[in-house]
Amino acid sequence: MDPHIFVKLFQGIATLGASEPAVMVARISLILLGMLLIYLGKKEILEPLLMVPMGFGMAAVNAGVLFLAGSQQGTLFVDPMQSDPGPLLTVLQVDFLQPIYTLTFSNGLIACLVFMGIGVLLDVGYVLERPFESMFLALCAELGTVATYPIAIAVGLSNNDAASIAMVGGADGPMVLYTSLMLSKDIFVPITVVAYLYLGLTYGGYPYLIKLLVPKELRAIPVEQKRTTNITAGQKLAFAIVACSLLCLLFPVAAPLFLSLFVGVAVREAGLKHFVDLIGGPILYGSTFFLGLMLGVLCEANTILNPRVLLLLVLGIVSLLLSGIGGIIGGYVMFFLKRGKYNPVIGIGGVSCVPTTAKVAQKSVTEVAPSVLILPQALGANISGVITTAILAGIYVTLVPLLR
Amino acid sequence: MSSSIVHAVIMYAIAAVIAFFVALLIKGMSASLGRFGRKSGL
Repeated sequence: MDPHIFVKLFQGIATLGASEPAVMVARISLILLGMLLIYLGKKEILEPLLMVPMGFGMAAVNAGVLFLAGSQQGTLFVDPMQSDPGPLLTVLQVDFLQPIYTLTFSNGLIACLVFMGIGVLLDVGYVLERPFESMFLALCAELGTVATYPIAIAVGLSNNDAASIAMVGGADGPMVLYTSLMLSKDIFVPITVVAYLYLGLTYGGYPYLIKLLVPKELRAIPVEQKRTTNITAGQKLAFAIVACSLLCLLFPVAAPLFLSLFVGVAVREAGLKHFVDLIGGPILYGSTFFLGLMLGVLCEANTILNPRVLLLLVLGIVSLLLSGIGGIIGGYVMFFLKRGKYNPVIGIGGVSCVPTTAKVAQKSVTEVAPSVLILPQALGANISGVITTAILAGIYVTLVPLLR
Repeated sequence: MSSSIVHAVIMYAIAAVIAFFVALLIKGMSASLGRFGRKSGL
């Protein structure tokens, strides 16, 4: 029997043998990493909604490599580098996830759809109750987004790439995707993958940061709960439309993001139940599922072996870590301003990973003082964090290309 | 490097000013819309 028949029959294995050792090791490692992500997602150590589809995509794309025309290796999943209209049309008819990538991912639509879903879930009432405090904490929690920018430039990244990776500190996946699409089209795939991998880590990593930086007795400080002012749905709706128009006026480049977020808020506050069900259900979860799957299939060995990815991995974690520290510093500033009657843990809620960081803050406090409630304040900072991250994304997308 | 630090600080300052105005807007709107709502019975 012709031995080549085995090569043709088991192309996934044959391509492993035919690749360079580094690629082979990377492929096997990524298959195993994909399986690990699914496990960690199932155990809820990492965010399961993203990690399960992402792990599947990662394992499948690195296993399913085959020989294409001209003895090249590739997959039938997606070709992110294809942008010429002729070959793109061919790829669109061959690669099964290419239509989703080309029509929803690479133009930022999926990020905006997720953002709409987030808008529907947000109750801006928490911000309206204490706007200055929430915005202050959110600004402090942007420390990583700002400080990582010069650090990334110092280690050799261009202004645009530095701004894109610095956005990881905002801990807002759709925002990183959008910013890197606008500023760093050639490395937006690794940046987005790094961002989402780390966002999964905030759930598991930030509690340790809180324990490290806030002593037990300060974590147990009760927070005075103001009498809830009666903020009506009309007020929230009016805020959404005015804030959206204002921010779009200031940063037209980021207008799709602002529109997506605030139209979600508006739909919720206008009481459009059918739209709320549609956007908060099928659109949000459908987009999140395909986003996870797409991120997984983009984790191909050749993409991950890009030498810049290691740098991006380091800068991403630095950014997220600095933002967490910044948030807690903000919490301490409030603690001193309120003469010890403020729980510094609330500050970490300013990192805009909605609602994860707010939940992490409450969980860390509940562990030492089960009766202390900080969730309303943490959610206010959290929602403000989305707004400040959107503002910084608008500033980066608008100003960074003008800098030399 | 030093110019990038200056750029980062300037961009942060711009973000802080805008966030302050958004907070101010929220505060002002909450008060005025609350009054309007009470007067108009909405």
